[in-house]
Amino acid sequence: MSTGLTKLTARLLLAPILVIAVAVLVKGYESVGDGFSAGVIAALGLLLQYLALGREATERALPIRLVPAMAFVGLLGALVVAAIPLLRGDPLLTHVPAPGADVTTLGTLELVTAVAFDAAIFLLVLGAAVGVIHTIAEAADEEGS
Amino acid sequence: MTHQPAAGSPDDPPHGATAARVAPPLSLLLAVAGFVAVLATWLAGGGGFDVAWAPSLDLRLNFELDGIGALYALLATGIGAVVFAYSWPYLPLHLSHQGRHRAESARFYALLALFMLSMVGLATAQDLIVLFVFWDLTAISSYFLIGYDRHEAESRWAALMALLVTAVSAVLLLIGALILHGEYGTFQLGELVARAEPGTPLTVAGVLIALAGLAKSAQVPFHFWLPRAMTAPTPVSAYLHSAAMVAAGVLLIGRAYPLLEQSRLVLDLLLAVGGASILVGGLLALTRDDLKRILACSTFSQYGYVVAMYGLGGPIGASAAAFYVVSHAIAKSALFLTAGAVTEATGGRTLLSQVGGLGRSLPLLAGASAVAVATVVALPLTVGFFADELFFKAAIERGTGYALAATAAAGLTFSYLARFWLGAFGGGPRGNPHPVPLPMVGAIATLAAVAVVGGIVSGPISSLAGDAGAASVGGPAPVSVAYHLDLRSENLMALGGWGLGLLALASLSLTDRALRGFARLGEAIGPDRLYSVALNALNRASDAVHDLEVRDLRTRVAAVLLPAGLLVVLGVIATPTEGAYVVGRVDTGELGLVLALALAAVAALGATVPRHHLTLALTLATVGFALAAVYAFFGAPDVALVAILVETTLALLFVGVFGMLPTRVLKREAELPTKPNRRWRDPLVGLVSGGVAFVVAWGTLSRPAAGGSVAREQVRLTSDAHAKDVVTAILADFRALDTLGEITVVAIAFAGVATLLRRGRLW
Repeated sequence: MSTGLTKLTARLLLAPILVIAVAVLVKGYESVGDGFSAGVIAALGLLLQYLALGREATERALPIRLVPAMAFVGLLGALVVAAIPLLRGDPLLTHVPAPGADVTTLGTLELVTAVAFDAAIFLLVLGAAVGVIHTIAEAADEEGS
Repeated sequence: MTHQPAAGSPDDPPHGATAARVAPPLSLLLAVAGFVAVLATWLAGGGGFDVAWAPSLDLRLNFELDGIGALYALLATGIGAVVFAYSWPYLPLHLSHQGRHRAESARFYALLALFMLSMVGLATAQDLIVLFVFWDLTAISSYFLIGYDRHEAESRWAALMALLVTAVSAVLLLIGALILHGEYGTFQLGELVARAEPGTPLTVAGVLIALAGLAKSAQVPFHFWLPRAMTAPTPVSAYLHSAAMVAAGVLLIGRAYPLLEQSRLVLDLLLAVGGASILVGGLLALTRDDLKRILACSTFSQYGYVVAMYGLGGPIGASAAAFYVVSHAIAKSALFLTAGAVTEATGGRTLLSQVGGLGRSLPLLAGASAVAVATVVALPLTVGFFADELFFKAAIERGTGYALAATAAAGLTFSYLARFWLGAFGGGPRGNPHPVPLPMVGAIATLAAVAVVGGIVSGPISSLAGDAGAASVGGPAPVSVAYHLDLRSENLMALGGWGLGLLALASLSLTDRALRGFARLGEAIGPDRLYSVALNALNRASDAVHDLEVRDLRTRVAAVLLPAGLLVVLGVIATPTEGAYVVGRVDTGELGLVLALALAAVAALGATVPRHHLTLALTLATVGFALAAVYAFFGAPDVALVAILVETTLALLFVGVFGMLPTRVLKREAELPTKPNRRWRDPLVGLVSGGVAFVVAWGTLSRPAAGGSVAREQVRLTSDAHAKDVVTAILADFRALDTLGEITVVAIAFAGVATLLRRGRLW
């Protein structure tokens, strides 16, 4: 259903979209955007591939099968970040460094546990969204065949 | 479309065969290790831990192995070990009778282990919210276990019934906990007991908690779910009736006893419900023909004893109740396992009238089950004798009338259990019974041996029950039991009970008709019937609403928008309007905002024109993008970003869906004329909801300051959280617990979609 131009555009857009997603995630604590938005942006990039290229071509070209598993990696990661403070006797989801303490930074990326939590959200949103897209596309293909 | 066999049919590949092999020894090991660990901790004087995981909400992971905790945790792991050992040979037989693959047994062990762990958690929890969570976990795991034979409609119905009765009543427990927290400011049982004073809030909370416990313990009038639940595989019934689920109800009553006993009303409620359950359960057990159904009626009758003892009150009542739970758990699990073994030996017979004469061919089974029966009917040299001695003592303490009633209750119990045992094992041999696997009989014999040892050396169980009673009444509740060869009242009452029981058994042919009439009356107008009628009516009502709602998409949208709009109109009318609707000035700097708003308005009007699907979708997307621009100009860049993402997703999805539909269908649909009744209704709904939204937005924007303090506080704290973006700091830090809940929902929704579309497989 797509023309060559649509396909080409979709292919060319994928890399910039993923780069933007990672940028939004990394700068989350610094500027607009967060793990959720980053996850949706990345998922949109992949949804575009599905729509323009079709399921089979997309899944041949990209390691899509691994993406849905990221949803559960993300959930597990979020739970770990949430639960670790309990081991030290702090309430759930106490983030370190504490308010007022110094923070190590890598460029604009601050090394705070809240950012790790945000990254877990990113993985979960991306994994769940792509997982749903993949399963629906698969079911639609089966129905059509 | 390829057709796949339904999950779980025998021609499935042996998926999980390894798990099915290692599950029985692993779960047995888990139970034994748990038993040893609990026993060692209790002998060392108890222990526990307390982690405040959400201090601002006063939520703590507070566990302590006190007397009650030790008693029920030992039962859950000890009986659990026996049940796991019994399941090892039983479950493959059970599955092969039904033509199912034996790999399915892994699920069974996982669920049973979850059941056991949630019982241990429930027994040791000291925080009412944690207790509630474990309470519901037992309900959920029992739901799957009762419905384990999921191809049978009766199993599914029974599982749903058990879940609805126990999980709906669990809400009462939660409400009770919240009332207590509202009144005394804590969820911790220890602190509650110290702070609680008799009064209406305590009585109301007490009644609610007691009702939750009574429903779980299948007391009248909630008793109907328990006999149905015997459709579960035999090991599950044995566990559910003795050490888990049903025991959880009296565990809660024992745990909350210091709060409950401050109200006479609650104690009288317990006494009345317990007495009624003894009577109804005993009478129904005399009329039943199904082996497991007799035992199920017996179970809620026996728990009636426990509940009544809590109702009798005082240190004797509390520790006698705890003693009775142990004695009953040992005997009842042995009896359920016996029922399973009898069914196995007779090639699948489940009715008392079909079996009989097994005593000669299966002497070990007959002997072991005779000990179990003797334990429940309190013959000497079994632990049951002491249990009844304490029961009688508590009744005597309360008065002569109660003592007479207790004697009659003992007689009733004697008669139906004697009928059960004589019916299965007495009489001449009939046919040639199948051999019963030795581990199955061994499990029953082990329980019988424990009952006899407990009847000779009463020390360990007495001190356990004494500790549990002490935890219930918050003071010493020593248990002293012994054989006394004299004519004291307890002994006379025991003798009287056996005599009455023999008499009732002998006159069964005379009373049979009346008993059956009683049972039929219960079936016609009893709570079981009420439950079915109510559930079916609810289903029908829900179907009717659903049919109305999903007739077509616009009706559905109208069904939400119109009532919501009218409700808000009422709210707007009730709110004072002075200063609520201000027309401000427009600065030149806000030109972008005005333009974006104008674009959104034009696009919204334009959306009423197109007839082609894709044009309509894209016009709607224009509205969305224009609104995103409005957010951006209004100083909410994060919201604008999310709005753009949502609009892009929706636009792409529309394009994708339209691409999947045949072009001629889309064309035909686009050219259909509007139905006459729609011509007026749709614009009206649109105008009402749009108008209301306009008024609300205007009113809100006129008073932006109201309720801004939380937001200001969060903005102030953002730099403390090492962040510059407030929204991200809220999501990942200030309200991170909410986020955690939300992403869990996302993961569950994804798992649900994937499982549904892949016919039961996640991946």
